[in-house]
Amino acid sequence: MLKPAYAGVLAAGRDQYNARMREAQRRYPMLSHDVFRAFLDNAGAIVDAVAPERVQPVVDSIYDLGLALAGRTLIGPAARSPVLQDAWRTLFPRFAILIAREPAQVLGMLSNAVVHLEAIPGTRLTQWMDDMGALAAQVGAVDALRAVGQIAAWRAGAAHFRAGALAAAAGLPAPLALAALHAPDGMQVDALLRQLAGDPWWQGGDPHACRARSFGAFTGFGGPFDAPPTVKPDGDGFLVHAGGRAFFLLADAYGASLQAATLAEFERAEPGRVPTTLAHAQACANATTIAITSPFTHAIRLEARS
Amino acid sequence: MAFDFFQKISRAPTNPHAKPTTREFDVADLYRGPVDAGEAAPGAAPGLDEKLRQAYFWIVNKAIISPHYDIEYNDGPAQTFTVGDSKRVLTLPSGQSYSSYVLLPLLTFATRRKCLFVGGPGRGKTASAILMGVLAGVPVRDVRRAMQHGHPQMTIADLLGNPLPADMVNAQTMESIRISWRAWLSMRVKIIDEYNRIPTRTQSALLTVMGDNYAEVLDQVFECPESSWFLTANDDQGGGTYQVIEALRDRIDVIVQALAFNPRFLDDLLVRIEEDVRPEELMPPELIFSELDVDTMGREVRAIAVPEDVRRRLEFFASQFELLDAAGGQFEYMTKDTARLSGVDWRDITAADTGRDRMKDLGCQTRNGVSVRNLMTLLVYAKALAYFRGNPAVELEDLRQVLPFVLRDKLHPDLDAPFFAVPEHAPYRTDRVSWLRHLFDLSNAEFLRLNLEHDDPVGEMAALFAQGLDGVSERETRARLVKIEKLIASLTKGKKLYGHLYDDLLKLKYLHQRYTNYLAWLRAQ
Repeated sequence: MLKPAYAGVLAAGRDQYNARMREAQRRYPMLSHDVFRAFLDNAGAIVDAVAPERVQPVVDSIYDLGLALAGRTLIGPAARSPVLQDAWRTLFPRFAILIAREPAQVLGMLSNAVVHLEAIPGTRLTQWMDDMGALAAQVGAVDALRAVGQIAAWRAGAAHFRAGALAAAAGLPAPLALAALHAPDGMQVDALLRQLAGDPWWQGGDPHACRARSFGAFTGFGGPFDAPPTVKPDGDGFLVHAGGRAFFLLADAYGASLQAATLAEFERAEPGRVPTTLAHAQACANATTIAITSPFTHAIRLEARS
Repeated sequence: MAFDFFQKISRAPTNPHAKPTTREFDVADLYRGPVDAGEAAPGAAPGLDEKLRQAYFWIVNKAIISPHYDIEYNDGPAQTFTVGDSKRVLTLPSGQSYSSYVLLPLLTFATRRKCLFVGGPGRGKTASAILMGVLAGVPVRDVRRAMQHGHPQMTIADLLGNPLPADMVNAQTMESIRISWRAWLSMRVKIIDEYNRIPTRTQSALLTVMGDNYAEVLDQVFECPESSWFLTANDDQGGGTYQVIEALRDRIDVIVQALAFNPRFLDDLLVRIEEDVRPEELMPPELIFSELDVDTMGREVRAIAVPEDVRRRLEFFASQFELLDAAGGQFEYMTKDTARLSGVDWRDITAADTGRDRMKDLGCQTRNGVSVRNLMTLLVYAKALAYFRGNPAVELEDLRQVLPFVLRDKLHPDLDAPFFAVPEHAPYRTDRVSWLRHLFDLSNAEFLRLNLEHDDPVGEMAALFAQGLDGVSERETRARLVKIEKLIASLTKGKKLYGHLYDDLLKLKYLHQRYTNYLAWLRAQ
């Protein structure tokens, strides 16, 4: 049941909102009235949390974003998961002050971030939402929100965001940066950033960090490789070859992520082999990480070199 | 509120190419996604080739209903199906393929050439031409007003402009008569609707504008800017109210046919009626090309390389058609053009053309050869297509795809040739595009059969000559002359004369003459 303020805005702009709905139906044949109605109900917590004078622009943004999300079946029963819907109900209201200020931008950014992270295999979306919720009270500007979200995304397993997240952290106020990075007690920001930049496997007492991880599985089991992979070091990561396709793998203490690469890049790369005592296994290393593969597994073992 | 559906353009690279560059992951990607959050796209503005592709995809996805993907590219094996009693093949291309009806006009726009839309009434020829005008940044209303509509009473003054009445009365000399030039002459996209309804005399005035880029009335001259031309005709085979003069037809670079509307797309038409929208009025501003953009694009297209192996295929193809040994007594005059200029009946001449396998000889399928203008146009469009596909060099397939549209009205089939009498070749009598593509495939097959890819002694002789004559000794010159003579002897011994051999022999004669002249000069030193 919508609160009067929310329902009042929708009723007052009925013609305009109906026109937008008709237009969206043309654009998104999958748009369901029921899903959209449930979404509007779900977003009530956000409207309730903003000041009365900002309800109108916030409802406008919620309405347009809802049409786009429902039209693309990112919410509702046909969605890949209910996470985005949950985020609108539980996480987004915690940023009500920012939403009231810049409704389209903040709601759009947060929605896109959830969709983006959901699409990266291995990322811990729940951890990202927990981190964001915990930091919400300290985030007073859209720029700070942007940086905090990026740091949380990296810590949730999006390893390819590591460099960008550390750069974003450097621009935050020290208390917020320390909180976002889950710094050990007493550690200064500069020292922390130096440590994180120098050692991608540094744990610093963070329970989400680890010094070794396995990555990948057979495509038949939902993994990315249709044959046991082979790897070669390339810069901060590894070029991976499996079943005629090439990838670029980045890994650190918080996760690993796989990006597209070309076979030519893989062929050009040096093997970078290091000795291993494991039977039938091959190991290679870059400056910080050792990668171990075997013809008997579709997974790659990644370990800190130091 | 504008109908937003028509404003959407492709944001992702429309033809992504893997670039082996340093990897940089943009953390801002986190906030780019399905909904607009005001996050700017990464990096600088897309290149003009990408913008051209965006324009293409906007037109095929939003503006032109039911595009036909007849320019087929494959990345690996394509799925094919044999359909019907006639055993026609339906191909599902494995690569990004294109609709000629949209792509060729776009390439025309990018290279400022001339494109003719043909097809029955009501198939969107004029609408497509208007889209090209809008792409150049001209308001739709102005594009419509500037469009010239051919009609049987169209005079030169209607087309080009009128002398000012006051000057006509008061002027003492022709130079002092000022002309009120028509606005379309100064536009960078020129549209002539139903050009085959223009009277012959007015067509001649149009020819001057199209060919030489200026207009002339009463000794007054108007210099037109470089522009792309889009003409429409219901029939490109000489129908319409007036026969189109040959010189005017020859100035047209490509011809594209508006294919039939597929009624499966009727719902898209319905949207336009219900929403009362015309796509040309809703073109996103990001897709508009400035004059500078088109200038830059032209330079970038010209910079696209044509590798030697691709160039050789075109040379070999073009050399098939000019030879008609019954037409000339001297070697150089054994051409179809000699026959044409003589006015002797074509059948009488071809009846005397004996000795060759007229089924196998590709030259027997045509009544003429490929002109210099046609070859230049082919190269320009092949470069433009490679540019459009984001490649730095022309591929053989690019050439194969543009060739039928360039030569459609230029290479005339001899429908009395044995090739067209074969029942399986019957569709080629009516479908010029397929015939020309088939002709190019046959030429390529012959090129490979003759192993010219790896063994081209005439090409080697030409490459040697291209290194220059500086420092070449008398002895070496004589040796080269002997080599040319031996090569001619080996090429002609016991062989029948085909078009490609004819051109090779003429090339060798040219080289022989250049060395002979050089030798004479050396001996005079």
